[in-house]
Parts: sequence; C-alpha cells; structure tokens
Amino acid sequence: MRIGSRLSTHLALAPALLIALVAYCGAMGWTIWISFTNSRMLPSSVFVGLRQYTSLMANERWQVSVQNIAIFGALFIAMALVLGFVLAALIDQRVRAEGLLRSVFLYPFSMSFIVTGLAWRWLLDPTFGIEKLGHDLGLTWFRFDWLVRPERVIYTLVFAAVWHASGLVMAIMLAGLRGVDPEIWKAVRVDGIPPWRAYLFIVVPLMRGSFATAIILLAVSVARLYDLSVAMTNGGPGIASEVPAKFVMDHLFERGNVGLATAAATTMLITVAAVLAPLMYWQRRQPARRPV
Amino acid sequence: MSATSREPRGRRPTRLTPARLGLYAFLIICALFFLTPLYVMIVTSLKDMPEIRQAHILGLPTAPSLAAWSKAWFAACTGLTCNGIRVGFINSLRIMIPSVIVSITVGAITGYALSFWRPRGAVLLFGVLIAVAFIPYQVFIYPLVRIFSYLGINNSIPGIVTIHTIFGLPTMTLIFRNHFAALPEELFKAARVDGAGFWRIFGIIMLPMALPIIVVAVILQVTGIWNDFIFGLVFAGRENLPMTVQLNNIVNSTQGEREYNVEMAATLLTAIVPLVVYFVSGRWFVRGIAAGAVKG
Amino acid sequence: MLEYRSAAFVLAAMLALAAPTSAEEQRAEVIHWWTSGGESAAVKVFADQFQAAGGTWVDTAIAGGANARTAAINRTVGGSPPSAMQLNTGKQFDDLVENDLLANVDAQAAAQNWKAILPPSFLEAVTRNGHEYAVPVNIHGQNWLFYSTAALAKAGVQPPTNWDDLFPTLDKLKAAGLIPLAFSGQQNWERNLFNNVLAGRGGRNLFVAFWGKRDVAMVKGPEFRNIAVTFKRLRDYVDPGSPGRNWNDATNLVIQGKAGMQFMGDWAKGEFTAAGQTPGKEYGCTVLSDHGIAYVMGGDVFVFPQLKDANQRKAQQLLARVLLEPDTQIKFAQKKGSIPVRLDVDTSTLDACARKASGWIHDANAQVPANEMLSPPALTGAIQDLISQYWNDPNMTTDGFIAKVANTMTQQF
Repeated sequence: MRIGSRLSTHLALAPALLIALVAYCGAMGWTIWISFTNSRMLPSSVFVGLRQYTSLMANERWQVSVQNIAIFGALFIAMALVLGFVLAALIDQRVRAEGLLRSVFLYPFSMSFIVTGLAWRWLLDPTFGIEKLGHDLGLTWFRFDWLVRPERVIYTLVFAAVWHASGLVMAIMLAGLRGVDPEIWKAVRVDGIPPWRAYLFIVVPLMRGSFATAIILLAVSVARLYDLSVAMTNGGPGIASEVPAKFVMDHLFERGNVGLATAAATTMLITVAAVLAPLMYWQRRQPARRPV
Repeated sequence: MSATSREPRGRRPTRLTPARLGLYAFLIICALFFLTPLYVMIVTSLKDMPEIRQAHILGLPTAPSLAAWSKAWFAACTGLTCNGIRVGFINSLRIMIPSVIVSITVGAITGYALSFWRPRGAVLLFGVLIAVAFIPYQVFIYPLVRIFSYLGINNSIPGIVTIHTIFGLPTMTLIFRNHFAALPEELFKAARVDGAGFWRIFGIIMLPMALPIIVVAVILQVTGIWNDFIFGLVFAGRENLPMTVQLNNIVNSTQGEREYNVEMAATLLTAIVPLVVYFVSGRWFVRGIAAGAVKG
Repeated sequence: MLEYRSAAFVLAAMLALAAPTSAEEQRAEVIHWWTSGGESAAVKVFADQFQAAGGTWVDTAIAGGANARTAAINRTVGGSPPSAMQLNTGKQFDDLVENDLLANVDAQAAAQNWKAILPPSFLEAVTRNGHEYAVPVNIHGQNWLFYSTAALAKAGVQPPTNWDDLFPTLDKLKAAGLIPLAFSGQQNWERNLFNNVLAGRGGRNLFVAFWGKRDVAMVKGPEFRNIAVTFKRLRDYVDPGSPGRNWNDATNLVIQGKAGMQFMGDWAKGEFTAAGQTPGKEYGCTVLSDHGIAYVMGGDVFVFPQLKDANQRKAQQLLARVLLEPDTQIKFAQKKGSIPVRLDVDTSTLDACARKASGWIHDANAQVPANEMLSPPALTGAIQDLISQYWNDPNMTTDGFIAKVANTMTQQF
C-alpha cells in the first residue's frame, strides 16, 4: 500500500478504533470488574471473588434462560432465513404489486414490540384469540393454547419474532439477488436448469455474503431478545419463557443486583467470544478476500 | 464506466401457469399471516373501551371512530401534561436525522476500510465490534453515562448521536463490509492501477455500487433509532426527549387504567415515520448495479 | 483615578451578577411514574399545591418504575440530578443513602412532627441511621378483594369474610358457570396473591417473619406449609387464559360480571371508576383475614438528591413540606384512590373502600408493612421467581417449594 493510502485507511478507521477502545473495551472492562463485586443497585467496589458467578450458575432462572435462548435462536434463525429468502426469491419473479408486497412483509420491522407483542398475546390467548376463533367456526376440537403452556410457550415467541424479522431478511436477500450477474440467469435459462435447482445450488452459494449478513443480524437480535419476551409473556408462565437479556435487565434495574447482572453479561460475552475467536482466526488465515 | 440500472430479468410473464398461481397463492397467504396483528391493532384503535372490554379482538368495530387516534396524538396523558405523543415528534426527528447520517457514514467507511484495505488488526477490530453487539446494551449505560458526563456531552443531542453511532457501528460495519467484500476484486484492482487512492475509490466507485445496501442500512438505523427508548431517555436530556418516551408513558403504566385503543393508535402513529422511509426507499430497491456492468 | 473607577465598575458588575434576583422561582424537577389518566390528575394536585406555595413543578414522567428509577439514578450519577424522584416506600433507596447521594429531610420531619402523624411502620421505612431520607405521600393497600355484586348474586353467595368461607364461595361461583377468581398471571401479581394468603391466613407476625426476618425455621414449619397449600389451591379457580394477562384485563372480567372476584391492590378502583361503577353498588371491596384485619400497606415516597445550588435546595424543602400538608394529602387521595399517609386528615370525602381502610390505619395491629418495606429488591425478586414457578409448574411440589425458599433465604443479598 502506498503511504498516502495507508494513512487514509488508518484515519478512516480512527473513529471505529476510538469507539471500540473507549466505549466497548472500556465499558466491557468495567462490566467484568463489577461482576467480581457485591454491587446491588449502584456499583460498589467490595471484591467478592467468584460469588456472583456461583450464584449465577446455581440460578434456575438463568439455566432456563440459557436453554430457551438456544432453542429460540436455532428455530428463529432457521425459519427467518428460509422464509426471508423464499419471499425474496418469489418477489423477484416480477410479480405484480411488488412494492405493496414488500411493504406488507417489511412493516412488522418498523414497530416496536411493546404493543405488537400485546397484539400477538391477544391473538394467541386461548380465551379470546385464535383458539376461540376456531371454536366459533365450529372446530370445537381446535386447541392453540401454547401461550399458556410452559413447555410450548417459547415457540410462540419464535412465531412473533419470525413475523417481525422475515421482512428484513427479505430486504437483505433482495439486495443480494439484485446483485447477481444477469449472465447467470441467462445461462440457467439456456441450460434448462429447473428453477429450484438453480436457486439452491447456484444462486444461494453466490449470495454467501447476504446470508452471512442476515445470519449475524439475526443472531444479534437473538442475543438482544428482550422487548418481545416482556410484551408477550413477561417471562411466563412462571419462568418458562425467560431469556438472558431479560435476566440481565431485570437484575440490573428492577432487582438492584448489578453484580449478578454483570456476571450474566460477562458470561454471554465469554460464550460469544468462544464462538467468534476460532472464526476470526480462520478468517485471518484466508489468503483471498472472502466475506465472513 | 456507467452504471446501468438492472430490472429483474425478462418481461413479466403474462400467462397464468399453475406455477404462477401457486406463487401468488403462497405470497397472499403469507401476506395475510403478516397482516393479522396489524388488523387487530387497527380495529382495536377504532373501538371504544366498553367494546374492547368485550374482547372480540378480531371483530370489526360497531361504531368506528378516530377518537383514540386524536387522543393519542393530541391529548393522551403522559405524566402531568396531557398533550399526547406529538410533544416528542420534533425531538425524535432532531435525534434521528443526524444519528442516521453519522452512524451510516462511519459504518460505511469502516466497512470499506476493513474489506478492501485489510490493515493490520482488521480482523481483530471486526471481531471486537461483532462480539460487543451480542451483549445486552443496558450494561453499557452506567459506564457510558460516567464517561459522557466527564466529557460534558451528557444530556445533549451530540451525546445521543454519539451513542447511536457507538451502538450502530457493529451492524453498519458488518453489512457494508460484507457487501463490499462480495464485489469482484477486478473492480478494485483496476481502479488502483488507474492510480486512485483510498477516498477516490470510495467516493467514485464503491459508494454508487452500494445503493441497495445503503437502503438496508437506512432501514435498520431509522427503525432502531426512531424506536429507541432507553438511550433517548438517559442520554438526550430532558429538553430533547423523543416520542418513544411519551409512547412508553401511555403504554407502560404499572398501576393505572389502560386505554388499549389509545395505545394501539399511538403505536401506529409512531410507526408512520419508519414506514414512510421504507416505502420511499423501495424505489432504490428496484434499481441495482449489475456487477457485470464493468465488463461493458 | 482610572483604576478606582474600573475597580468600582468591576465590583458593581460582579455584585449585580451574584445577587439573587428576588423573582427567582423555586424550580423543582420531579421524576415520577404516574402517567395514566387517573394518575395524571393525582400528580396535578401535587403540582398545583406546589405552585400555590410559590414553587414551579417541572415534570419528568417516565412510566414503568424500573425505567423511572434507571433514568433518575443515571441522571444523579451523571451530574444532573432531578430535584426529587419517586420510589416505593421501602428499601429501594438503601444504596443511594449509602453512597451519600440523598439529602436528608430531618428538619422537615421535626417541623411536621412525623412521629405523631405517620403510621409507625412508614416512619421506620424512611429512616436510616436515625435520619429521615424520604417523604411518604400515600398509602396503597395491596391485599384487597374486589367482587362483582352481580356475579355473586347470580351464584347466590355472600361476599366471604374469611379464608375458610372463601373456598365454598368459589365453588358455588364455579358451579354457576362463572370464573371464580379473575387472575392475571404475571410475576408481580402472583407474588401479590401469595402475600394476600400470607397476611390473610398467616397474620401480621408470620408476614414480617417471612419477608423481614427471613425466619427459615418458620418457613419449614406447619403454618407456612398451610399457606403454601392454600395458595396452590387457589389455582383451581382461575381460568386457563390467566397466564400473562394484564391485571386490568382481569379486573375487566369482574367489571363485566364474568368473574366473581379478584385479589388486587386498591389501584384497581381506577378501572372500576373508568367503567362507571361505584363501590357498594356494582362492586364491593373487602380484606380477607383470619386473625383480625391484616391490611398490607405499601406506598410511594419522594427522595431528594443532593444538590449544589442553594435555590434548588430551598425548592426541595418547599416541595417536601407541601407534599405532606393535610390539604394536599386529601386532594391527592381523592384522585389517586389511595389513602392519605397522614393519620390526622379527615377522610370522610373518600370513596367507600378508602373509608373502610382509614379505620384500619389507626390500629397498629391491623397494619402489615408491604414486602417492599421489609426485603431488598434482590431478595424479593428471587422469592418471586420461586412463587411464580410454584404457581405455574406442576412439577414443583409444596415441599420442593419450601426447600428452595429456605435455601434462598440463607443467601446473601
């Protein structure tokens, strides 16, 4: 690289570097430090070793939260990816009212969950939601009370979350699809490859970047899942739909247990770092430029 | 080099084959699934409270009225004052516009620098950015409040813009980096051969090709920033509280009576700005820049 | 000569800038979470009274107690504290006192003779190390039983008077095809219901032993077991849609006559009033207890962060005084549905339920301090998780619940 460009690059990266160091590493460092203290509502500096961590591991609500986020994460990412991609592929087929359809699928993303979560809760409520609708239509055997069953409630969160995020995945996929070389489409037509094969084996691999972007954005929203859990079920019934971000939030503010909350946040960081570090190491060793 | 706008391929098929019918059927069924909560929200907002208490959530209102909408905008109680959510509308705009511009700009430049130029430590920086995105951001509030108060930008618009940039950086960098990294290397190499430097390549080549991803970035940031509540509450300062604070006050009362129709109306009113942005940005969704255009 | 004139000029300018303007308003910025229609009318009473006394109320309302506390605390540590902030009567401000962030209101307490006019448990709740740090402004009863006159009539029952009466009444309601107990299955209200049973069946001493003294021996004993079993038994009388429901929607069931009763705090009156119902006519209110009246009392307080500006401190003192004046107290109670925290106020203008309660607040034996006053938020939260699990999870036995509670009580919080 020429000197001028090297300087420019570093200059360009300066804000990000500053932010990463001060805001992220600084704040994260503070968080990790506080997790070793007995902080209640305000930070304190009384060192208590690993006490918060042992409490955390023994905390049943935390254990349930971790299980839930794993189930939720796997299902949500898979379903949102598939639905988003399928919607993008279908809309890309020169359908009428493309703009309208795009808006219909994208609008859920524009609304915060505080009230849309309430609408979903009403819809899934067994006494006046779709179960009642089924009964009114004469289908007396119809049951859909997953919202109030502890072993099923997490799946209702998946529904609402997929509803919320598929539109965004669709937008990302559309952007990616529109970047695919038109020569590819011509070749597909000329070679007579059936559309589903073309999409699955040719187009999807070409859109690695879009998929990677979508997966990471979805994963980030999984880790951040809070609003929806509060609005739809408030962690209930009991603690059946608790999630880690809600655990951190509740203990940070409502319960005045900053020590435990920061221990939970640090645990999340360690988990994420453990997953990302090998990926990053593998990235560094790549000779050619490839998206993550 | 000219960028040609690329529409989806071919002319619209005019014959309704079974495959075509199936396509439309699937799309319409999905659309109905997506629209149901909106339907519930709209009909609830048009009913009055006695009718809502009947709990026929899917039923049409017997005497539809916009009273709840008017109350939500002009007269809902949000504390001592009962002036609705319009109070914060201007503030939300004042926060959102600079925040969107700054956060996307910084993210785009960072993503560009990390994708093509790969300085030392690029992967590490990228890793740190992404890792932090997974942490519940509420833990950062206390240390950032201390830092900002030390820097003197607490309780101000520059403060909240900085906060949105800080928390938008991971996702913005991610999407721009991935988008640029997927572009063919020949493009970049050709420009370097022509003697273009860092900024020239960014401004003249990369940015025009990034239009679709800029649209995605705008969607993400407008939505996130417009709907943000806790950061606006803590960092913007009392004079600059965004509309979401009033919305929260209407919706989140712990011990007060709840007027569901007003809550629904207020939420829908709040959602109008992001929806308008989505709609308008759709125009740029149709146009894309073909990677193959460079060969021409 | 020139130097004298310049010096005089500078001095005069400095004096002019430093002198307090006589029309300096007493501004007090108050953070609170009263945002609904009824609550807004109530907080307006405070604002108007403060205005009438010469102050200016700057309102910063933030719904959701946790949100308001977050904003207030972050403002305080960030260097721009509000003049006053709302908290619940209890242990929420322990940390603030420990970190020396609050100004005390000893002068206020002495001037208004709090010892004489406040219920003893409330005075205790605002005192730390011999100093008073908060001004209590109301009393909210947490363990009322509201019932629909129409629903009870349909089932042919009278309102129950104690816990033994309760279950046959609930059975009759069930037989009449109504929902016996309207319930909102959120963690707060599950704990509230548990507290209802604890105070009603167990009595004042058991309640304080549980939340305040964390008496593990008592927890493992037969009385507590009886409470836990009674609590679980109530679950047979709620409808399947109760998990996650807002408390307002449960009250609505009683309002509509679809359900017989609801255990809720006196803020529920707001919903009844909004629906046009009056106590004694369409609905009734009572407190169920086996050992004489056990009225669980909580409430709200205002605390005053340390401020540097002398004028703002004066405003704080003015506000603190105004909040507890008899006139303010009675007007606020009328709007809020709570009871004045001053014992020497004439309560004849309040609604029927509040009048019932004002008799009880003069009787020290009838009063049970709310769990917020006895246990720190962290412990309350941990126990709340257990109560919620016990209520919702069929796999948790009573013995299992008791064992876990005993275990949690021994942890450090």
